[in-house]
Amino acid sequence: MQWVQVLVLGLLLGGVYAMMASGLTLLFGVMRVVNLAHAAFILVASYITYVLFENLAMDPMISLVVTMPLMFILGVVLYLLLFPRLEGNPRYVEMTVLLTFGLALIVEGMLTFVFTGIFRSVRPEYASSAINVGEIFMPTSQFYASMISFALLIVLWLVLRFTKTGTAIRATMQNRAAAQIVGVNVRRVSAISFGIGMALAGAAGSLLSFMFPFFPARHWQWVALLLALIVLGGMGSIKGAVIGALLLAVASAAVTTLIGPTWSPITFYLTLFLILLLRPQGLFGAKVRL
Amino acid sequence: MPALLEVENVVAGYGTGPDILTGLTLSIEEGNSYCIVGPNGAGKSTLLRTITGFLEPRQGEVRLDGARMNGSRPDQMLSAGVCFVPQDASLFPTMTVRENLAMGGYLIDDRGLLKERMDMVYQTFPALADRQGQNAGTLSGGEQQMVTLGRALMIEPKVVMIDEPSLGLAPMIADQIFEKITGFKDLGITVLLVEQNAVKGLETVDWGFVLDLGSLEFEGPADGILADPRIRELYLGKAMSREK
Repeated sequence: MQWVQVLVLGLLLGGVYAMMASGLTLLFGVMRVVNLAHAAFILVASYITYVLFENLAMDPMISLVVTMPLMFILGVVLYLLLFPRLEGNPRYVEMTVLLTFGLALIVEGMLTFVFTGIFRSVRPEYASSAINVGEIFMPTSQFYASMISFALLIVLWLVLRFTKTGTAIRATMQNRAAAQIVGVNVRRVSAISFGIGMALAGAAGSLLSFMFPFFPARHWQWVALLLALIVLGGMGSIKGAVIGALLLAVASAAVTTLIGPTWSPITFYLTLFLILLLRPQGLFGAKVRL
Repeated sequence: MPALLEVENVVAGYGTGPDILTGLTLSIEEGNSYCIVGPNGAGKSTLLRTITGFLEPRQGEVRLDGARMNGSRPDQMLSAGVCFVPQDASLFPTMTVRENLAMGGYLIDDRGLLKERMDMVYQTFPALADRQGQNAGTLSGGEQQMVTLGRALMIEPKVVMIDEPSLGLAPMIADQIFEKITGFKDLGITVLLVEQNAVKGLETVDWGFVLDLGSLEFEGPADGILADPRIRELYLGKAMSREK
């Protein structure tokens, strides 16, 4: 029974991880950019959710309606402002790593300025309750958050599979040059993908705000974890990111139960270490050319 | 009436690197087929990349039907009727043959037309009809090249630029590909071919351009170039002797 409990807790957390990771891996797939500021933007959404909750008593799950479109627009604007001028630069990969690292620092600095470095958390009623199914126990907050995450992942899949823009995004992920050849405007696709990735970060921020306490520098911890997830799944593979997230979340829940919570983060970094050593392209990744 | 495509005094190169094209001028008439030959580094592929909008010329002009096209993006050049088939089979490896062809018609919104064009491609390349549901990445080199060419037909371009279609193919397979390219003319498509194998390339087309060091050295009827011992020796020496 303990194993079922571990599996359930892992999958609940894994759902949220999967959504965060798929935004990050989508960006990498389309633009070959590792967005080190992804988790910093997740925190921006957490703080927006916090402000809406404190001032308007808006339920954090409702605030997704605010954070997602807001972050989508921010993503498109940031892309158009910062990235096109780096295209064609012979040091594109290095430049974008520095750029997103800089963005992360700026966001962290601004959040610290406005909200100070103390821990915040959003505490709706369900943040401290639990659902019990037989002997299985589920924190209500995690249950809600993962259901919303899985729903958003399904929407993402439908968009990518069945819309014209989605087809263009998938084509660009598979072969950017070929996508250009058949008439895809890859700059537009990149801008939209950046927007979608940021909207998913926005959703994640709203959901995390009532699951874990947060402070401005928290994002380094999150982004390190997300990188482990997408490297395991294969950079640029959304399917890989989802499966990697679920696997690692369950593994870390198992480590927490068996050895103790102190050791749970090491699950991610040990996996990252091993996968880079043994199978650098990840579970579902192709060997990419940069 | 202006020529279909004109390249005038074009200078182009990559990044901050040196000029690869050093003031190149040539023009292409509708309905003919052309092959660009010349030694390695002459700027053949760079010329195609410049015409198709992947590379912006530093100087000079690219004109389509008399209109200046400098600075157009690849997708804009494609809507204008200029299609590019680059040398590395540029397919979507985990999409099926059918999906790859459908992507070729990305700019077409009319489903009926898309279907019609796809049937036309299967008629031109019957080998692909049997492989519709197969992932493009699992096809042989020759079949992949056919998908790339077939995909180019999907939008019925005015002119198609084909870069080294025989690269990495067995001679017999390459011959089949050249045969298909010869057939493009009957479909009313102007062909501009770049080919390392100068003899095969020139045999496939009507008119030849000889490039060296980034500019046009000579042009004339393809059979004339093939027959001219002086040009063969000066510009095509290596490429020709490789044939023998």
